Amino acid sequence: MSENWVLTEAEAVELLALLITSARIQMDEPAHYGPLRLLTATERLSAMMLERSSDKSKAFLQDNIERIPEMHMAMSDVETYKSALDQLCREVAGCLLRHSELEGASP
Amino acid sequence: MSEHVLNNIKTRRVVRQMTDEAVAREQVETILEAARWAPTGGNLRPIRYVVVEDPGTRRLIRLVAPGMFQKAPVLILICIDWAIIEQHRMTLSDRTSLIDVGTAAQTMMLAAHAIGLASGPVTSFSKEAIKVILNLPGSYSPEMFICIGHKAEGTRAGMRAWKKITWRDLSHWERFEDK
Repeated sequence: MSENWVLTEAEAVELLALLITSARIQMDEPAHYGPLRLLTATERLSAMMLERSSDKSKAFLQDNIERIPEMHMAMSDVETYKSALDQLCREVAGCLLRHSELEGASP
Repeated sequence: MSEHVLNNIKTRRVVRQMTDEAVAREQVETILEAARWAPTGGNLRPIRYVVVEDPGTRRLIRLVAPGMFQKAPVLILICIDWAIIEQHRMTLSDRTSLIDVGTAAQTMMLAAHAIGLASGPVTSFSKEAIKVILNLPGSYSPEMFICIGHKAEGTRAGMRAWKKITWRDLSHWERFEDK
């Protein structure tokens, strides 16, 4: 894994604020908003990381920023939403592989 | 006139993406003036509004409001002042004031739409964090933000409807028959 710093302390605190407040408001909101909040955090983290990240992550992060807002809108179509989340899982696994010692292994 | 009002109601949309373009002070005041005319239970008027334009404060608010996708130039926070409720010896569990939040919110969004502005409500935020950030008086509970601004081109679409509905799906005439 690369040891580059991709977040400032202020950005990390911003992300903490989002995660902690999401945890609290989720107690009062429908269960299916859980993925929405996690994806919002993913989108914001991707935006924070993008400029300082290496080529191993850049395309994946850029995709997240563009695609996640569209995914939110499809929440009412559960199967499409699941399928989009599965695709995101495959892509994050690919990104992990690129950063891992298994680099070069096919995902 | 009535056609104009109905058209305003039918064409208003929740806007989730706004430009940086500033909103004129007079426009904000027009929206607040409209809210003053919203129906309120018992004519108690326990609703208070906190307007936030300062960019730094708006940024902090967004950080504790996961449901706030907009970067709106103006945020109007609708609060209930529970001191007013208590003054009138209403019980704290009384739900009338929450209905007042709703009437105020819709009145403001329609007013915004009528003067060419976009709006969107947000309730997904941490009340406790907002109290700290805005240093709200102890009797105020923050209930809903109305984001005000100008709609961005290619704006984030609204959440897709779970199913297509008409007013007929939502309405029932007269007494329900016994089962």
